[in-house]
Amino acid sequence: MELNRRQILKYAGLGLAMPAVSPLLAACSGGGAGSGDGSVKFEGWDYEAALVQQNLDNFTKTTNIKVDYTPITSAQYVQKVVAEFTGGGGPDALYVYDDSLAAWVDGDYLQPLDGLPGVDEVYAAIYPGNAAAMTYQGKRYGLPYYTDSNCLLYNSEILDKAGIKKPPASLEELEAQAVKIKEAGLLEYPIGVPAQLSDTWWAWVWALIFGSGGNMFDEQQAPIMNTTDTVVKDVFSWLQQAATKSKVIDPACLQLLAVPVDNAMKANRYAYTIGARYASRDYNDAAKSKAAGKIRLALVPSLDGKEHGTVSNTRLYALAKDTEVKDDAFKLLTYLGGLDANKQPYTAKFWFLQRGLGFAYKSMASDPEVTASLEKFADPKVYAHLGEVATPRNVLGVPWYTEFEIEMHKVVQGVLSNQVQPAAAVAGLAQTVETLKKKYN
Amino acid sequence: MSTVVKVPLRYRIPWKKIVLYVLAVAFALYLVLPFYWIVAMSFMREVDAISVPPHWIPNPATLENYLGFVNPNEAQQLVGGRAIDETPYSLRNSLIVATSTAVLNLVLATFAAYSFSRLKFRGSQVLLVLYLLTRMVPGIAIIIPFYLLMRTFGLLDTYLALILSYTTFALPITIWILKDFFRSVPRELEEAARVDRCGWFRTMWSVFLPVAAPGLVAAAVFAFMTAWNEFMFALFLTSTEAAKTIPVVAANFATDFNTQFTVMAAAGVLAVVPPLVLALLFQRKLVQGMAAGSVKG
Amino acid sequence: MAALAERRPLGDNAKAWALNAPAIIVVTLLIAYPIAYSFWVSLQRHNLKRPRATKFVGLDNYGALLSDQAFLSALKVSALFVLLVLGLTVVLALILALVLNERFRGRGLLLSLALLPWAMPGVVNGLMWRTIFDAKTGALNGLLTQLGLIDGYQAWLTSGTGAFLFTALAQVWNTLPFAVIILLAGLSTIPAELYDAATVDRAGGLRRFVHVTLPWLLHPLLIVLILETMNAFRAFDTIYVLTGGGPGDATTTIALLDVQTVLTFTDFGLGSAYAWVITAITLLISVGYIGLLYRKGNFEV
Repeated sequence: MELNRRQILKYAGLGLAMPAVSPLLAACSGGGAGSGDGSVKFEGWDYEAALVQQNLDNFTKTTNIKVDYTPITSAQYVQKVVAEFTGGGGPDALYVYDDSLAAWVDGDYLQPLDGLPGVDEVYAAIYPGNAAAMTYQGKRYGLPYYTDSNCLLYNSEILDKAGIKKPPASLEELEAQAVKIKEAGLLEYPIGVPAQLSDTWWAWVWALIFGSGGNMFDEQQAPIMNTTDTVVKDVFSWLQQAATKSKVIDPACLQLLAVPVDNAMKANRYAYTIGARYASRDYNDAAKSKAAGKIRLALVPSLDGKEHGTVSNTRLYALAKDTEVKDDAFKLLTYLGGLDANKQPYTAKFWFLQRGLGFAYKSMASDPEVTASLEKFADPKVYAHLGEVATPRNVLGVPWYTEFEIEMHKVVQGVLSNQVQPAAAVAGLAQTVETLKKKYN
Repeated sequence: MSTVVKVPLRYRIPWKKIVLYVLAVAFALYLVLPFYWIVAMSFMREVDAISVPPHWIPNPATLENYLGFVNPNEAQQLVGGRAIDETPYSLRNSLIVATSTAVLNLVLATFAAYSFSRLKFRGSQVLLVLYLLTRMVPGIAIIIPFYLLMRTFGLLDTYLALILSYTTFALPITIWILKDFFRSVPRELEEAARVDRCGWFRTMWSVFLPVAAPGLVAAAVFAFMTAWNEFMFALFLTSTEAAKTIPVVAANFATDFNTQFTVMAAAGVLAVVPPLVLALLFQRKLVQGMAAGSVKG
Repeated sequence: MAALAERRPLGDNAKAWALNAPAIIVVTLLIAYPIAYSFWVSLQRHNLKRPRATKFVGLDNYGALLSDQAFLSALKVSALFVLLVLGLTVVLALILALVLNERFRGRGLLLSLALLPWAMPGVVNGLMWRTIFDAKTGALNGLLTQLGLIDGYQAWLTSGTGAFLFTALAQVWNTLPFAVIILLAGLSTIPAELYDAATVDRAGGLRRFVHVTLPWLLHPLLIVLILETMNAFRAFDTIYVLTGGGPGDATTTIALLDVQTVLTFTDFGLGSAYAWVITAITLLISVGYIGLLYRKGNFEV
């Protein structure tokens, strides 16, 4: 019957389509990248996409290399890029979070830059912490986009009003100062941190731990938060006390992402927060902030009042493993993250001057143009010092890092809301690590 | 109705009416107040929108948040990454995708539903349940293979990818809605048409479908809403203004570094207006359509 | 096909399958393959960031669920979420539909309002409720303070119970219209004679509802129950925007955990296993509903 034959043909067509798909699924990141017309396919999260485009136009004008740029929603950047590489349609060059580097190398998305022209020079010119964050299993995978370290940001006017002379050096002092501000009726909750669950890392928790000289992991990525290192537990105890006993940390933090915390700082509604240095540029911008001119940086307060360190993060430009336009893509990388013909980090400087994004290049710290711009929103000495003492998280190389980070957020939420006691919290985290290790074994 | 019963002559408190109006007002407030708040915010200046206590009525009222979508000022340009630039495009894309989904869905579902309502055939029950089963698998399970499939067909970042995926989402439910509705259309109509020696297609087109119009409207609105509201597939299958839809852009307002509540509210209002207008236009037919669809006539 | 139908009448079987062919082709081509593929993946150890470690593990992913704390917790949260959302949706939708089924001034307006939440994408719904529940500037805090019901602004979403309840309420608001429309449609087809008869029998309002209204509504209720159960189990957008699953695990439903497992942790194997558990549960519940109505003798597909 005619009808049946037609049906059969349709089904046959369907059957043909399936095998065509299967090899693609099996071969994961196989298949060529690039858009086929010789231009460099470039992807990044959508921070200041217009400025990025402006920069890329400039690059195209001088080199004649076309760039096909796609900004991706920052909240879903990692997921989207993973989907693209899995499907075999990844970009040639792209932004990478230091958090994702190890996974993306293991997933065969990226290729090392060792031996390419100018790379050694770049790595010699940047802070060691940034170099370490872009290196995985002894190979170098990126040129720096920006970096930042975390610090205590405080509103000097509120502190003045409460009669406080200088920022706290210890956590105990921070709590006492906050209580003073609270009792003076200036603010009900002087301290705010972003503690709503999200996929981005909670820099402030790491900053508090590093700031007191502690760590959650040893150099072999074994968990020490429940054994040899007592700092984590003590920091958790302090958090719990400040949130539930002296009530100086805002209970609403549990429903605040980073943006509302920024807004509160700009509206003089918090006296303290822990955040990246570059936030102070935004907080001190008179066009956006009522707190302009009042926000200052300080080292992260520690348990013992002594100076220890802080945490830094690095965002990098990387090269796709199966790019067909490697030379052009690397030229783009060099333009964005490397040194120009005059041995100057052109784009890194551009970002600092335009938006205050932290730089990895040591030389920029003494560049007069940079310091002049910096003085408008931060004390250059404190700023530079924070950069020097900052270290990256030492567990970025493990495949289960993301799972651990997310679990840590939940545990800290429990600590802040008095649902989990500090001892149980660190024990739980150590247990989580063991479970994850087994799973990824 | 109540005239049938002998009503005593003394005055009776109309309890039923009172309860009815109290409930109606309570529901009206519940339904409209949350939406009113974002409408109000969308006409406020940012500083008024976050004031304590809240300003319930925008004063001074401003159109600035809406004008920003046409011609953003410097502060607005930063809002939600490029969300403010993308809102107009994404509304256009959403409209095209949702309308096409509704149409394609209607065509496919009409054929299938007709077979369930008019023909006795082997496997009909199994097939019906199978349709529904495809809707029970969560989208997240199929999103990655689906993405790969669309890539193989070269459909990433096109309307067609979204239209096809939403059609498959809405199809099972629309078939269920339509099959019941078609059953309530009297068979005699078609038989009369057949006596007039109309072809099957002509019968369908000029006799059956007009009678079935309310059901079709219901199914179309359902499919439209499904397409209009979907977020995750749109997020993965689109990447530029060529096909990004409004939920994807709206999500930027939630997560981005620079957010203004008022602009976000304006985008939210814009996201609601087109489907709302559609639903209101077809309101009467919608309820009739669902009527026969859910209860056997 | 038209020509065919005219030339010689086809058997019902052939005709029916021909009519279904377009739908079947679209569904098979686009969904059946991904569905089958996801089941196959659920039998594998398959993490997208470790492609070389991929291997077939049979039912191991499923077996591991029994001791998977995150999964068990999410399952519990989901079960409560579905119960709460479904219960509230059905009760509110039924009352609203009964109200709308009466004649009164302003009925048209109320019907329009009842459609409003339907037009709101889940993401926008989440954003809207976030501005309303906001601890610092939210409208809910403003309203309750002005009414004198609370002393100061509250952080509604910071306790586990609070976050859970408010998230459920936001979800109910969004899913209400569909249920209302279906139930209202069912109500409007109840023949007036039935009510008249009941009135003559002097049956009270409640008895009339139980004996006349409810039996007529069984079929629309079935559709509402199946669809809203499916929706509540897969609710993602609103929760994601509103709480991100927190505080702690309080609003981490199985759907949210699944999205996180697949997209954030890129564990496609385990995520697919989660998805198939969700599918199985929804299927069982739907079959349960259908069975229940079968016993009432009122169901025919």
